[in-house]
Amino acid sequence: MSDVQLALTNTAGISSVASFWAFAVSNASARFHGKLTKVGLAVLVIGFVALTGSIVMRGFESQRFPLSNLYESLLWFAWAVMGAYLFFSRSYDVKHLGWLASLTAATFFLYGSILPASQHDIKPLVPALVSYWRQIHVPPLIVSYAMFFLGGLAAFVQLWSAARLKSVLLAMAGLLAGMAAVALGTYTETNSFVLQGLFVGGSLLGIGTAWWQLGSFKATAGNKARADMYDEVVYRAIMIGFPLLTIGIITGGLWANAAWGSYWSWDPKESMALVTWLSYAAYIHLRIHHECSAEKLSLVAISGMVLTLLTYLGFNSLGFSGLHSYGRFKESGAFIQASPVVSYQNASDTLLS
Amino acid sequence: MVTAVSDTSKSEQLKGVPFRLSAFASVKLTVLLLVLIATTVLIGAWCPQEAQQGRDKVIETFGSDFGAQLIKYGIADIYHSPFFLGLIGLLTVNMVACSVQRVFPKVRSLAQPMPLLKEDAIAKMTVCSSAQYAAPANLVLQSVQSRLRSHGYVVSSTDNRLAAHWGKCGRLAPTITHIGLLMLLLGVTITSWTGFNGFQAVPLHGVMSFDQSEHSKLWLGQLPQWALRVDATRRENYDNGDAKQWYSTLSVVDSHGKVLKKQEISVNNPLSFQGVDIYQSSWGLGSIAVSFNGKRMELPLRQMGPVIHAAFLPLDHNTIMMFSVHGQDEPVRVFAKIPEWPQPRILTVLAKGQPTVLGSVQVRYDDLIPVTGLQYKCDPGLFITYAAFAFIMLGVILAAVPHRQLWVDVIPLRTGGCRLVIGGVSRKAKSTFEKNLAKLRQMLDREFAPLQEEEASCPMFN
Ligand code: HEM
Repeated sequence: MSDVQLALTNTAGISSVASFWAFAVSNASARFHGKLTKVGLAVLVIGFVALTGSIVMRGFESQRFPLSNLYESLLWFAWAVMGAYLFFSRSYDVKHLGWLASLTAATFFLYGSILPASQHDIKPLVPALVSYWRQIHVPPLIVSYAMFFLGGLAAFVQLWSAARLKSVLLAMAGLLAGMAAVALGTYTETNSFVLQGLFVGGSLLGIGTAWWQLGSFKATAGNKARADMYDEVVYRAIMIGFPLLTIGIITGGLWANAAWGSYWSWDPKESMALVTWLSYAAYIHLRIHHECSAEKLSLVAISGMVLTLLTYLGFNSLGFSGLHSYGRFKESGAFIQASPVVSYQNASDTLLS
Repeated sequence: MVTAVSDTSKSEQLKGVPFRLSAFASVKLTVLLLVLIATTVLIGAWCPQEAQQGRDKVIETFGSDFGAQLIKYGIADIYHSPFFLGLIGLLTVNMVACSVQRVFPKVRSLAQPMPLLKEDAIAKMTVCSSAQYAAPANLVLQSVQSRLRSHGYVVSSTDNRLAAHWGKCGRLAPTITHIGLLMLLLGVTITSWTGFNGFQAVPLHGVMSFDQSEHSKLWLGQLPQWALRVDATRRENYDNGDAKQWYSTLSVVDSHGKVLKKQEISVNNPLSFQGVDIYQSSWGLGSIAVSFNGKRMELPLRQMGPVIHAAFLPLDHNTIMMFSVHGQDEPVRVFAKIPEWPQPRILTVLAKGQPTVLGSVQVRYDDLIPVTGLQYKCDPGLFITYAAFAFIMLGVILAAVPHRQLWVDVIPLRTGGCRLVIGGVSRKAKSTFEKNLAKLRQMLDREFAPLQEEEASCPMFN
């Protein structure tokens, strides 16, 4: 990694932390609210531009498309979260979302920066990944994950604005349990079943009780106009993320078909992307149904966010995908039997692990 | 709360739909099915599936007791379980019913021109406002019209009324997506009934036929009469020795041995012949050819580590000879092991083609025989499946386009000025629509000074 590239990445990381503080303090201070919001936004723009430069430079330095390991995908994710926030701030007054978007970007920078060094290196690609399809398939997926994250964060603000404080805290606890499981799975040797229990149990309990809170207790007066606006932001983010996820899944299928003759092999990672897709299809249809309150829809969006986390980072770190099954050896010979599943796992694990 | 305009009444929707089918046309049922399918797929992603990863993997992951339970109750083969197939069947019926009853009819309503609404109808809209200007009605209307046009709205108008819309294509989204989903089901069904696939590891100069293909139980297809011969196969490495690419030169041969087509394939670059696609899916070293006193033997190789392969040749009950292979261009090391020796002992190193005498036997390392992993498939429904992919992608992209409809009524006042009433709907982007409308009002206020402060929102206006 060149010094300039490092400096740009660090600028982006520091900017995300600085804008987080600017937005966070702006929410707490009525006096400096307007000024601090502008500062937060300006710093975020600087971070976004720096990160764009860093990613482009990385591509030039490695002479390939800069999205082929987990570290690079985290950079893309942070870039997309920042970009999506800036995009929404042009049409909506989303200043209450700023600190959450910046915090998410900063968390992903931190997660990326303490990954094992091997994940930062620019490694040669396995045969299955030597294809232009990689450029077409992976970016929409990462950007869709970022949109779903932003949608989930906006859903928290929607609940908050609708004075559903307890639901916010419970759902947040569920999300944090999931994130803790991912972090433990990445940096420690904790037993997979414990991690899976923490992720699934924690998020189900958190979101489940948040849902129950909505049904059982009436909200105190909230800011309806703001709640409605954030409900719309959630919807818009999902309606941008959904086509991107669809494109990502379908182009993955086209690539798999071009590479080993099967567009769908029920590979665990593939299946997880389908689960996320189906959950957002359920969200879209729940909206059409008109019987679901905006607060319940927000909790569905938060569930989608948890599933996105599971698909993107949880699968490898929680030991879901049978990481030891890369290659099977034929009984009588040295032949590595590469069924589509094994090949796909190789491909997806190399890309996103 | 979600706000929307429903343009087709329930009774209208039900017209022409068989009663039994309409019972399944519920969006509530869709949501339930989508959630159940998602949960089933999630379980399938968590539990290794027998069909993809093998039964051993299930036992390895969960231990023999729990693993056996998962196998017994079909969790380890969940995608073939009656429960999952039943859910897919129900979703299909639900989708057909819903599409026919609720989704497709909306396309017809799109073709109809927007009515030009009067002030009282506009006042009932979720987003609306009004103002009075000293300027004549036609001038104000013209200004609104040109501003809307410059923002991409399609406008139709009379002397003092106007209707405009933006992003009408977004309304086609459900229809296109659902047609795509139904086509996908059709494509997958055709493939399942007539297609086949398989994998075979073929040694260099070996021939592969399609006799061991896999296909569904209910099958109407035909297997090809021709076969494939592997004329050459090789591996290309990165500088550090990792595989970069695998290549195989394949000949399509008919039953008389006549070559019908010849092509070199590699990963991501398959051979296609008469609807069958053959993919380079993997590569390995299959066996080592060694001559003993001029007599050639092919010994199967086993992978012993990332780069080392070995072949074992029992000489008698106690003695085993081993050939250790590091790579295609490396010499082969020969070991022997008898019970008295704790470790195998190296006997010699053989360069390719150079004979060495070991006791009374002359040994020569002739060759390494690679094996190429060929994946093949015949997918007659692929064209429809791909077309379905295109429809689904287009449909969901269009679903992101928010449709906006807007109406204006400009009523001339006796004083010479006019009263403007403007309102509209945007189901997917109400806030931005409201903002845009407010901006439009501001511009009009700047252009034609308002006569008096008017109520800004519709409830007051009512
Ligand atoms: C995986 C399955 C499905 C997917 C991905 C899907 C996707 C979509 C999409 C993208 C829309 C457009 C939403 C919008 O414009 O806001 C839509 C609308 C709709 N879908 Fe589905 N759909 C699926 C299954 C179903 C099924 C099974 C039904 C059957 C009841 C259904 C009923 C509807 C209805 C009624 C609409 C609204 C039409 C309208 O208001 O114009 N969908 N769907």
